[in-house]
Amino acid sequence: MALDASQNLEDAELLARFAKGDRTAAQVLTARLAPLVFAQAFRMLGDRAEAEDVTQDSLLRLWHAAPDWQPGQAKVTTWLYRVTSNLCIDRMRKSKRHSGEEVPDMPDEGPDMERRLQDRARAQALRAALGDLPDRQKQAMVLRHLEGLSNPDVAQIMQISVEAVESLMSRGKRSLAHALAPQKKALGLKDDG
Amino acid sequence: MDKDFSPAPLDDQDLNTLFEAAQRDTPELDPEFLMRLQAQAAAAVPQSARPKPPRLRLFQRLSGVVAQFGGWPAGAGLAMAGAAGVVIGISPPDAVLDITSAYFQTESLSELTGIGFEAEFNWEDT
Repeated sequence: MALDASQNLEDAELLARFAKGDRTAAQVLTARLAPLVFAQAFRMLGDRAEAEDVTQDSLLRLWHAAPDWQPGQAKVTTWLYRVTSNLCIDRMRKSKRHSGEEVPDMPDEGPDMERRLQDRARAQALRAALGDLPDRQKQAMVLRHLEGLSNPDVAQIMQISVEAVESLMSRGKRSLAHALAPQKKALGLKDDG
Repeated sequence: MDKDFSPAPLDDQDLNTLFEAAQRDTPELDPEFLMRLQAQAAAAVPQSARPKPPRLRLFQRLSGVVAQFGGWPAGAGLAMAGAAGVVIGISPPDAVLDITSAYFQTESLSELTGIGFEAEFNWEDT
């Protein structure tokens, strides 16, 4: 099928075409989904190489699942968020290397370099604190506050109720708020204390 | 009572500031890496689902079989031998008739082989 025509198709339709041997569908799906998966993995792991590994692994699992994919079973992105999230948590468990402990790449110089440096410092501190949360809290926090998904979407990805998601996030936020309190000033946040 | 010197926890606004910073601090996907993913996806396209080559016509398939047995000259030889067999079957030459008549006129296995019926059971007495 032509590349332009494939661009307008839903993910599930493209996946069905992939399963029937359509290489164009494979190309379009990869271009569409890989950036999403990579962003999620990087936000959880804070390491480009590891995020790339997870991206590769997640997409391979999707290709293997394609022939048995049931139309209407779940959104492809929901399925991918779940797989990516689980792969990231596995990696965080195996290696105690949380992103905040790593030497980061410096942002390229530019007009807003100061802001990007501050973003980098804040992101690292946040990822380090997230890394110390229990797995389910961390997963809920990342999906809701870093990926920007709604509570019902998070609930579907985590296969729990919306109330359970709200409970996980409430506890997660409380833990983060206390864990990051000593760095408040260093992170350029207003210091009321 | 001791005064609590522990810093005040972050409020929701502080946390949102950190979340927004982490969202912005996400690198772009490396184009070379994307190309590798594309190649990986193309390789993962199910093999059995790929378009099958067009079916060969009967003559092409027959040619393939004949070629395996030595080509058309060998096929012609085989056809000739088959035709000769049919002719011999319908109207056999005299020499062939003599042999077959002699064969079917014998009455028993012992007559043909020259071994008597009793000899076959001699082992019971030993």
